[in-house]
Amino acid sequence: MFLLPKGNPLAENIPAAKLQLPEALDKLKNGALTGCAIFDFPGADCALLYDGGKLISAIVHRENKELKDQAALQALVDLLVLASSGSFSVYGFSRDIIQALLGMVNGTAIIDGQEIKQIDFKTLLDRIKNEQMTGTLKIYTADRTGLIFYKDGATIGFYHDASSAVENSAGEVQQIAGLPDAKADLCTLSASQSFSLDLAGAGDIRKLWEAATAGNLFTAAPAPAPKPAPPVQPPASAPASPSDIENAIIELANQFVGKLGKTLAEKELMNAGGVKALKDAATLQEFLGALEKGSKLLASANKIKEMSEAITAEAAKL
Amino acid sequence: MDLTAFFQHLTEILPFLPKIYNPVVYSVSDVVLVFFWFVAAAFSFYFSLGNARLWTSISIGFFLIFWSQAYLLNPYAESYFRVTAVHSIIGVISILLISHGFQEYFVFTRTLEITGSKRTIYLTTVVAILLGILVVYLNPKPTQFALRNYKIMENTVWLFLSLTNIYVVFKIWREMKDSPIANGIICFALVFFCIVLWKGSNLYLQIYQWDPAWQRLVDDYDLGIKTYGMDDFLVQAAQQMHSIGAMLSGLSVGATFAYLFKLLR
Repeated sequence: MFLLPKGNPLAENIPAAKLQLPEALDKLKNGALTGCAIFDFPGADCALLYDGGKLISAIVHRENKELKDQAALQALVDLLVLASSGSFSVYGFSRDIIQALLGMVNGTAIIDGQEIKQIDFKTLLDRIKNEQMTGTLKIYTADRTGLIFYKDGATIGFYHDASSAVENSAGEVQQIAGLPDAKADLCTLSASQSFSLDLAGAGDIRKLWEAATAGNLFTAAPAPAPKPAPPVQPPASAPASPSDIENAIIELANQFVGKLGKTLAEKELMNAGGVKALKDAATLQEFLGALEKGSKLLASANKIKEMSEAITAEAAKL
Repeated sequence: MDLTAFFQHLTEILPFLPKIYNPVVYSVSDVVLVFFWFVAAAFSFYFSLGNARLWTSISIGFFLIFWSQAYLLNPYAESYFRVTAVHSIIGVISILLISHGFQEYFVFTRTLEITGSKRTIYLTTVVAILLGILVVYLNPKPTQFALRNYKIMENTVWLFLSLTNIYVVFKIWREMKDSPIANGIICFALVFFCIVLWKGSNLYLQIYQWDPAWQRLVDDYDLGIKTYGMDDFLVQAAQQMHSIGAMLSGLSVGATFAYLFKLLR
C-alpha cells in the first residue's frame, strides 16, 4: 500500500481536474513549503516532497509500479491532463520528517519486503541508532501499513493508515507489526544523497504542462482566440501579468481581513483553478462568494464589501 | 421591585393561571441581568443570519441561557419541580452549544473550512431538549433535594466547559490576532472567566452545603444538621463572588456583543 503521512493541512481534497499545475507548484515554491503535495487519482497516487519551497522528490505509484523524479513529473502531468476525478492535498511537515520521507522515497533499501518474524528487531534498532540512519521503516500487510520515521538514528514519529497526523506513540504501528503476514521495508538516506536538488527548475513543469494541454483534445483549456487586430495606439503601460494580479488579490485579502484572509484567498484561488480562471464572471462570483463566506468570521461587512470591490477591479485586469 | 399586585391582577384577567399567594419581588440587578442575556441572544442571532453555523450554535446557546434565566423570574418557577429540572437540563444544553460553536470557530481558524448545516444544530437542540424532558418525566417527580442535585450537575458542566472555552478562545485569538474582529473574540475569554467565578463559587458552596438551597432544606425538613463554617472568610468570599460573578457575566456578555456588533458592522 502506498502511504504518505498527513501533516498540517494547508489544502485538502481540492478537485484535481480544476488544478492548474504550474500555478499550484509556483505557489508551493513561493510559499517556501516544507511538506508534501499529494495527488490521489483513481488507480494512481503521486507525491511531491518540498523542502523550503524546493521540489526535492517526486514519486508516482501506479499499477504496482513506481516512477520517480522526472519520469514521475511527466506521469503526473499526463494524469492531471486526463483527470476527470481525483484530489490534491498539501500538508506541512517538519524538516526532519521530510528528510525521513525522502529516505523512504529516494533512499537506499536496507530491508526490502522481509517478513517481520525473520527480523531481529533489537539488532535492527541498534543498527539504526549506531549508524545514525535517517529514513523510514515501513511495516505493512495486504491491508494495513504503518511508518516509523528516523532522523540521525532517533525515532521522530509514527504514522499508520488510520492516522490523521504524525503521532508520538508506536501503539498502532506495533499492532500492525504483530499481524501474521507483516513485512518490513527500511529505506534510508545515504550520506552522498543530496538534499538540495530542485526538480521544479530542472524539469520545467510549465513546459511539460503546456505541451500536454496543447495536445489534449479533452482538456478544458480554452481554444486559442483569433488573433486580435493590432492596436492603433500602443497601450500606455504594459498589462499586469496573472501572477502580479494573483499577488495583488492575496495582498488585498491580507489588507482587509488579515493573515487568515490571505491564506483563505490562496486556498479559494486554488479551488477556483488559479487566477486565470477569474476571467470567467461566474468563477469570479463563485470565488468572491467563497471568500466572503469565510471572511464573515474574520472581518466586518464593510471591510468585506470593500475587499470584494477591490478584488473585482483587480480581476478585471486579466 | 414588587410585582405581586401585577401578577395577582393578571391571574384575575387570565383565570386559568394558578393564583399567586406569595409575594413576587425581583431585584433590579436580576432583571438587568436577564436583559443582558437577552441582548447577547439577540446580537448572536443577528450574527448568525447568513453566516456559518457556528454562530447558530452560539446564538441558540445564548438564547437558551436567556430563556433559563428569564424562567427564574417566573412567579411559578418554584412550584413546578419537573419544569425546574428541565430548565437545569436546558442550562447544560446551552453551554454545550456555545462550546460547540467556539470549537467550530477554532477548527475554522486552523483549516479555513466551513462545514455542516444549521438544520443539524436546530434538530440536535430540539432532540436534546426533548430527551431531557423525557428523562425528567419518566422519573418520579423531583424533590427539592433532586432539584439541588440538578443544579450541582448544571454548575459542574458550566464550570468545566467555561474553563475549556477560555483556552479555546485564546487559541482562536492567537490564530486570528491581526483580523479586524480579533479583539472582540478575545473579550469572550473575559465573559467565560466571569462565568467561571459565578458558577464555580456556587458549585463550591453547594459541595460544602453552604448554599441557601441546602440551608432551606435543613430548615424545611427539620433535618437537624448543623452547618459549620458559614461565617468563614472563604464562604463569605464565595458568596460575594457568586453575586458579583453573576452580575459581571451579564454585563460582560452584553458589552462583548455590543463591541462585536460595532466591529462586524
